[in-house]
Amino acid sequence: MKTSAKRGHRSRIALVNAVPVTLFLLVLFVYPIVGVLSLSLEGDTGGFTLHWYTDALSGVNLSVLISTLRISAETAVLSLLVGFGLAHAIARMRPVFAALAMLIVVVPHFISALVRTYGWIIMLGEHGLINTLLTSVDAPGAPYSLLYNETGVVIGTTSVMLPYTVLILQGVMRGVDRRLLAAAAGFGAGRLTIFRRVYLPLVAPGVGTAGLLSFILCLGYYITPALMGGDKQTVVAALIDQQVMKQDQWNSAAAFGVILLLLTFAGLGVLGLAKLRRTKAHARRSSS
Amino acid sequence: MMELPATRAGNVARAVSATAILLFLAMPIVIILVTSFGADGIGTFPPKEYSTRWYEQMAAPGGNWATSIALSSLVAALTTVFSLILGVTAATALARGRLPLHAAVYGLVLAPLLIPQVVIALGLFLFFEPAGMLGSPLAIALGHTVLAAPIAILIMISTLRGIDERLEDAAASMGASRMTIARRITFPLATPGLIAAAVFSFITSFDEFFIAQFMSTPDTRTLPVLVFNALQFDVDPTVTAVSAVLIALAVVALALVALVRKLGGHRHEQQGVLPVEPLT
Repeated sequence: MKTSAKRGHRSRIALVNAVPVTLFLLVLFVYPIVGVLSLSLEGDTGGFTLHWYTDALSGVNLSVLISTLRISAETAVLSLLVGFGLAHAIARMRPVFAALAMLIVVVPHFISALVRTYGWIIMLGEHGLINTLLTSVDAPGAPYSLLYNETGVVIGTTSVMLPYTVLILQGVMRGVDRRLLAAAAGFGAGRLTIFRRVYLPLVAPGVGTAGLLSFILCLGYYITPALMGGDKQTVVAALIDQQVMKQDQWNSAAAFGVILLLLTFAGLGVLGLAKLRRTKAHARRSSS
Repeated sequence: MMELPATRAGNVARAVSATAILLFLAMPIVIILVTSFGADGIGTFPPKEYSTRWYEQMAAPGGNWATSIALSSLVAALTTVFSLILGVTAATALARGRLPLHAAVYGLVLAPLLIPQVVIALGLFLFFEPAGMLGSPLAIALGHTVLAAPIAILIMISTLRGIDERLEDAAASMGASRMTIARRITFPLATPGLIAAAVFSFITSFDEFFIAQFMSTPDTRTLPVLVFNALQFDVDPTVTAVSAVLIALAVVALALVALVRKLGGHRHEQQGVLPVEPLT
């Protein structure tokens, strides 16, 4: 009796408490996004049209979309490689150093991306720190042009995405049962074989999640490409900003927004499906 | 792979590459801090001469920078209040109650962290523009709350889950009323989480660029919008000092959260701090 009364009370309290956030997000998050969707399908004089989408997927606009996808992919791959190396090293450090390293990973995440991007601009310029160093050691071809091109954008964006990949990979690597690796070694497997056949399959889900997530987060990212890219390195988010602020082309901006949204949903869908498959496989294994 | 014999060459290679990557993360911040004390006209590193002139210029009363720092502070304070209200109520529903449609509400709460911010910003622009509310601190704060509230909610959920409910049951069995329990048991135990939620809401808003950019007018530009414009169009060396202040703000905020958690005796892992965690 008493427990069921408590339960009824609990679901009433939960319902009442869920109201503010639900209302808030429906009005200021869901409704505005529906507004973007409907604007993207609306002709100049009202009525339904797909004109803004065909416009977004042709000519210069299409090339902006493709270069956004390319920069996102490059950033995702680079932050995976760098993040894997760092997370792997942290997993083997002594606890004090590991804690210090994690601090250097996490603190920048909370410092404005604008500020970090500005730091990169100062560092990567023709007379910046990196080029000065490279010239002083007589690196072939130095100074390099590292700023206002795609190289600069990818370097800057990678440093913004890196904390995410390191944290995800760090979590997965901590979860690996080290006894499996020792067992493989006991059976005579070499270091490379153990890495390839045992370790990598165990961390693969985390690698996939980290890569896809940095790709998704890059798609709509703007600050670093806008400040570190050249005139040609426009990304979709920058285009949307220009169209709204300077050209009053809201419909076109909305169509680009919906395209970004769809790409994000596709990425999240892949993540969700992979997780579902793992859960099912896990359930099968534990039931048999 | 601790069980395997490590080779010395492997150890050295790993230490060198880890150091290089950590430098990669830390260098831009160090560079800004040093450059901000440089006396040279444009950001050069290392500076030839040191001074605090950019800090003085930033703080000059009535200047662009001082005005936008005031606006950003107001917006961030409003955002913090809104996010805490939503954070406490939503977390109570999601962590404690038996909520019908639990998954749907949880998904709705996480969505703003994953949807491209430019799309949210565009949507809010279309929402507030017809109402003539562009540039209003209240409107910008409401927009920022869309991004800050989910973070506050995640922090509060992990805080509430960390509180042993038997303490509340024990108080109830001794005849304490619900109000007394909330005031004397739950609230004190949840205080470190509340402070963390407030701090993260504040910096989320103070650092936010996209929504502020879409919702600002030439007279009402938040600090990140002004920094962005300064970096894009004219290189005003004051930006280095402003950037250094933003770095200091983030470090102080994180130190505050760490201190409060330590005093609160929270031994369990820090959770809900990065929006990615629920995905993994």
